[in-house]
Amino acid sequence: MERYSLCVNEREYEFLANANETLLFVLRERLDLTGAKCGCLTGDCGACTVLIDGEAKKACLIQIRNAVGHKITTIEGLSENGTLHPIQKAFIYCGAIQCGFCTPGMILSAKALLDKNLSPTESEIRDAISGNLCRCTGYERIVEAILLSSKMLRGEDCDV
Amino acid sequence: MVDEKDYLVANNLNEAKVLMHEHCGNIHVLAGGTDLMVALREGKRSGRDTTYLLDISNIQELKAIERKKVTISDEDCNTNEDYIRIGAMVTFDEAAHSGLLLKTAGALCEAAKSVGAQQIRNVATIGGNVCNAAVAADSLSALTILDAKVVLEDLRGERVLSIGEFITGPGKTAINEDELLTEIRFKPLEDYYSAFVKLGRRKALAISRMNVAAALAFEDEKITEARISPGCVFATPRRVQSAEKILIGESPSEELFMEAGEEVSKEMVRITGRRWSTDYKYPALSAVTFKALAIAYNQAKSDT
Ligand code: FES
Ligand code: FES
Repeated sequence: MERYSLCVNEREYEFLANANETLLFVLRERLDLTGAKCGCLTGDCGACTVLIDGEAKKACLIQIRNAVGHKITTIEGLSENGTLHPIQKAFIYCGAIQCGFCTPGMILSAKALLDKNLSPTESEIRDAISGNLCRCTGYERIVEAILLSSKMLRGEDCDV
Repeated sequence: MVDEKDYLVANNLNEAKVLMHEHCGNIHVLAGGTDLMVALREGKRSGRDTTYLLDISNIQELKAIERKKVTISDEDCNTNEDYIRIGAMVTFDEAAHSGLLLKTAGALCEAAKSVGAQQIRNVATIGGNVCNAAVAADSLSALTILDAKVVLEDLRGERVLSIGEFITGPGKTAINEDELLTEIRFKPLEDYYSAFVKLGRRKALAISRMNVAAALAFEDEKITEARISPGCVFATPRRVQSAEKILIGESPSEELFMEAGEEVSKEMVRITGRRWSTDYKYPALSAVTFKALAIAYNQAKSDT
């Protein structure tokens, strides 16, 4: 085991881990941040999506060493002082969550998109979440929710 | 999975070469990891059973996309030639959005965009894709129409091979055990219009079923140069010269593009023989080729 420190959601964590561990394993088992889900471990489902320096990546494919020194954002880091992030609010408002297993990854993929592009088209949205599988919703409401959150983030009136 | 002692980090190219030499045959390069991490978890080491993994993600030289000049001296004249170099650790997302590549290798940007999903494009590298030499690797057909070369380096020096020489079979390459693939280089296709079309079963994450990269150059309404390379069709990437010949010297038309598409399918049957899938693949490959040629031509039209 070696000592590591990792910046997650703007907080420094110190912990012991083996060099062979993935970022997903560390987040869930060492740091108790269980928002990132473990769906397939083969890079297919996107349930483990987190942001690394603002870019969406699959935490099950990242060796812990390659995460050190970068800023990690997980779903736990999105709300501020108990207030949900607009994307989270929009997902709830639109009914874009059923079992919720894909939701953290979906929301982070959406955030990576909206941080770069505040007015995405529907096809840009579908492209951004194409690496996130959802077995429940059929995607329509997820796309709707991301469109709505882009309006909210642009400061338009949405009464959500 | 990998033991702690297995994991070596190189901070510059020379360190990497020394480590590759020291542990020759017992070390495997970890690039983006999108394939290797899965193989390791499944207990496969991509075919090679090695004790060490070499992390090259800290090596800055491997992350650049740049235009370079080489001086070629033959006999008594020196000519300057431009080429584009893509570091082996450039990710598909970086390639897809590189202004330099958009200008000089449009089909490669399209191919990069078509890879996996955003999360995979953010991590997976061109060098890794080429080294895995999967028949379905998305970048290979686009690199083939660029006549791209790979640069392999070890402590003794470097070798430059064409993609066709480098990839010797499905999953097999000509890389030596102590060599590193450091860059991919090609002459910019500035006067060409190029396109990449992929037929996948599901849009995202689809490992290519079949794809075609094509490039055309025009002068006075006639096709002066043509390059066509289908992906996932042959065991090793190659161009289809018999189809290119049909196009050269002719005026572009739908019939002509259809004829060239048909020729690509014929070549497939000549090389791989008839298989159970031929009934499906034959018309599909013609159609994908047609589409790639039509897109390249439309770019030319909208440019003038
Ligand atoms: S758990 Fe990482 S992609 Fe499925
Ligand atoms: S809500 Fe169940 S998988 Fe998406």
